[in-house]
Amino acid sequence: MVEVLKKRTIRDFDWLVAALAILIVAFGVWEIRNAQPTETYWQKQIVGLGIALIAMIAIAFSDYRRLVELAPIFYIFGLMLLVVVLVPGIGVKVNGQRCWIQLGPLGRFQPSEFMKIPVVLMLAKVYGKHRTGALNWKEALKGAVILLIPLALILLEPDTGQAVTYLPLLAIVLFLSSVRMWIVAAVLAACIVGTPLAYAVGVKTGMLHGYKLERINVILDPESADKRGFGYHTWQSMVTVGAGGVMGTRDSEFSQSSLKFLPEPHTDFIFAVTAETTGFIGCMLLLASYALLLTRLITGARRSRDRTGMLVIMAIVGGLIFQIGLNVGMAVGLLPVIGVPLPLMSAGLSSVLATFIAIGFAISVQLRRFVN
Amino acid sequence: MKFVDDSQNLRLRLRIIQALVMVLLGALGIRLYVLQVVNGAKYAEVAENQRIRLLPIPAPRGVIFDREQRMLVDSRPIYSILLSREDTKSIDRNSLIPPLAGALNIDPQILRERFEQVKSQPAFESIMIKEEATPGDIAWVDAHQLEFPAIRVEQTPQRRYPANGVLAHVLGYVQEISPQQLEDPRYKAKNYKPGDIIGQDGVEAVYDEFLRGRDGYRKVIVDSRGHIQREIERVEPQSGQDILLTIDSDLQQAAEDQLKKSPQGRGVIIAMDPNNGEILALASAPSFDPNLFSQRITTKEGRAEYAALLNHPDKPLLNRAVQGRYPPGSTWKPLMAMAGLQQGAITIEHSNLVCGGGITIGNRFTRCMGGNHGAPNIHTAIEKSCDGYFYRLGLKMGLEGIQQMVREFELDKRTGIDLPHEIISITPSRELKAKLSPSDPEWKDIDTVHASFGQGQDVITPMALLRAHSSIGMRGQMFVPHLLKEVRTIAAMGDPNRDDFRPARPSRGFDRPQPRDLGMPADENAVVVQAMWSVVNEAGTATGIKMAGFDIAGKTGTAQVVSLGKEGSEHKDHSWFVSYAPAFKPEISCVALIENAGLGSRFGAPSVRAIYDVYYSKKHGQPQLPKENIAMKVR
Repeated sequence: MVEVLKKRTIRDFDWLVAALAILIVAFGVWEIRNAQPTETYWQKQIVGLGIALIAMIAIAFSDYRRLVELAPIFYIFGLMLLVVVLVPGIGVKVNGQRCWIQLGPLGRFQPSEFMKIPVVLMLAKVYGKHRTGALNWKEALKGAVILLIPLALILLEPDTGQAVTYLPLLAIVLFLSSVRMWIVAAVLAACIVGTPLAYAVGVKTGMLHGYKLERINVILDPESADKRGFGYHTWQSMVTVGAGGVMGTRDSEFSQSSLKFLPEPHTDFIFAVTAETTGFIGCMLLLASYALLLTRLITGARRSRDRTGMLVIMAIVGGLIFQIGLNVGMAVGLLPVIGVPLPLMSAGLSSVLATFIAIGFAISVQLRRFVN
Repeated sequence: MKFVDDSQNLRLRLRIIQALVMVLLGALGIRLYVLQVVNGAKYAEVAENQRIRLLPIPAPRGVIFDREQRMLVDSRPIYSILLSREDTKSIDRNSLIPPLAGALNIDPQILRERFEQVKSQPAFESIMIKEEATPGDIAWVDAHQLEFPAIRVEQTPQRRYPANGVLAHVLGYVQEISPQQLEDPRYKAKNYKPGDIIGQDGVEAVYDEFLRGRDGYRKVIVDSRGHIQREIERVEPQSGQDILLTIDSDLQQAAEDQLKKSPQGRGVIIAMDPNNGEILALASAPSFDPNLFSQRITTKEGRAEYAALLNHPDKPLLNRAVQGRYPPGSTWKPLMAMAGLQQGAITIEHSNLVCGGGITIGNRFTRCMGGNHGAPNIHTAIEKSCDGYFYRLGLKMGLEGIQQMVREFELDKRTGIDLPHEIISITPSRELKAKLSPSDPEWKDIDTVHASFGQGQDVITPMALLRAHSSIGMRGQMFVPHLLKEVRTIAAMGDPNRDDFRPARPSRGFDRPQPRDLGMPADENAVVVQAMWSVVNEAGTATGIKMAGFDIAGKTGTAQVVSLGKEGSEHKDHSWFVSYAPAFKPEISCVALIENAGLGSRFGAPSVRAIYDVYYSKKHGQPQLPKENIAMKVR
């Protein structure tokens, strides 16, 4: 039995997903080094990758159904961490946000990154049962509560960027749990019509003013925005991306990041650094890698043995694509500046570890697609 | 799908998500294509421009020497405080004024003006905050780097002038170009920019284009805060050309000393080489300190000092040599005599005219200041300074004759000296009379009488007067007075194949060295020269300054200011002495005008003698010193 499991495990283990994830992180390490050649972020990232790999393999070989069963425990533990991080003295404040817990010399640990996993598991547990017919309001409400408690705690830190990344988890789970299509269509339509309308009304009534208005205007027209004030980050990121051209620039000593024109080059703006050093070709390869990774995960979800597994993978996919979209969108000047890391690329132990744990779950689901 | 699912078309929903993922990534790809492939070159240029700066390296200005290569003016390196505009673009720069003005002791008004001026300039140009930073200022800048990252200390050259205002009116001064000058098309043509230090007066202004160097620059890579990371190119500045003046510092010092000792401390002394027009000394008193403009004008104290200069009743900024006009008094007489002979109003053989102690025109008697000289000839008339003689000579020549003389000696023009703001002497004419006395506009004989002895409405600059007299000494050779001996050559800088190549600049001298020949008949000229020699060496009005072995020829003069007053008081007469020596082969000519000193030549002639003493001792060794109290012997 052990023999069989092993053979099957090796055969069914999603090598492609694991390899892609490792490859992207490795690429990320190189870019982190380009971004901050004099700092030790890239070395820390390698250590982080090692830890994350172990975590991923451990999760992949454990039975996700067990872990989903245990979801409430993880969830409550996660909530406790989110409360603890708010306590001054334990939570470390950086840039006005108290979202870190110092873990000795290892570095800092960001509970809001990890909380996504229990939330995904809880959602999978609640919506994973065999279902017939469309989703009703009562069911939807359960999911909303699961999401809103950690969300509220994260907003207290306050870390809006991180909080926003929780939304697609619920959205995708609800979508796949048979929300009526007309509701989906209605929400989409409301967004498409509502956003410009809200902008117009906001400007007219004066509700939207000051820096909030500036930030939106920057995105609408980065060229004529105040390139030294509100538009600085967006403009510099666009310049950095554009300067990469087709092939990228080799002049790393005088790059946008090493001359500090580009802020936070190793975390939030790692994509801009990638674009500068590897050009359009590198960016396309990276986006293609993400596309391949996500497609592979979606395939895994489709092949999943049960609804729970499918929901776990798809929630993870939703979280990943949402973060990728936000981060890259911000780097290319399509979205306002929000502090969201680029999954697998940005420096940061918490982000890498959480992402690999998530991928570990996806692999675990895959591994057990034939098991009863 | 491995599990049974009855809910709404799950497969389709998964496809939708898959499609959304691809659409989103595709959209990002398109955006990247636009940014990197379509507009990549544009953004690369933006990135390059924001990291590359051209920082000017100010070129040292040429040094000014005297004729014996003694240094008069140079530039020394000082520490200045500059404000990078790059770092202050996003903030209201005016908010920096109160803290900076307070901590660095700068006039807030000056900062405001400078901030205003640079608005039209490229963003990488820095703003000068304070010149000549003290060690305290530099320490303050260091200590407040975090608070004010945009300010920095840099070495810049600063002009240094001789102490005590020596030669100030000749040298002029440099000062930052003014907003009005920046608007002026003449300055615009020379591509000046705000903050440029340019010559504003004196030879600094006239020869600015030679003295100015051509700035070099450093091409550097800077980070987002403007801090220099590396220099990638350096083009050294080409220094300005050094200039040799015709000034002899020893004579100059003697002239300055004489004026300081004068009763009012006001006056002019000019010494010139009549053989070529080279100015050996030019002193105008009171003087001012040009260092005020090059060093202190941007401080509160400096501005107060400047205001005090402007409002000073003695007008220290005025260069009396070329901007002061005085009645020539009796110094007018040798010119009249020369013209009278040339025009045939008198001849060498028949030059006697009645003095009669004065003249009656209509019912008014104008007396001869020297008493009654009988009927002197031209020699005695000059020697004794007989007014009565010249009244009658003037009447014989008529206004037209006097005007012809004025034209002959170019007294109706600028002398052409290489100093800015020279004014033109005012000489007798019917138009002037009509303008000055509207109640009595007709030109009358009495006006001719006044015009003939230098006491009328005509007023002459000391420079023009000296030039005219020098031409008599030179037998009709009249030169353009000038201060430039030589502009020195400077070597080429840079690579001839590049557009920042600065070619060598050649040496040159004064541009109008040729004399004009006034065509004086030698015998007539000799009569006047002989008479002027007698003024000093025989029985004339300046025998007190007679020098053994150095024949001075000259003429005293008294310029009536208003009316007689007490000696040395405000309205006392100006004292003139104009001369050249040696009389029959002049090497040097010299004029002194001592303002409100008193009777005649008691002050002018001894001042000139002091200059000749220095000249003589330099050339021939120790002169025979004048006896005590020579002033008493001069009348």
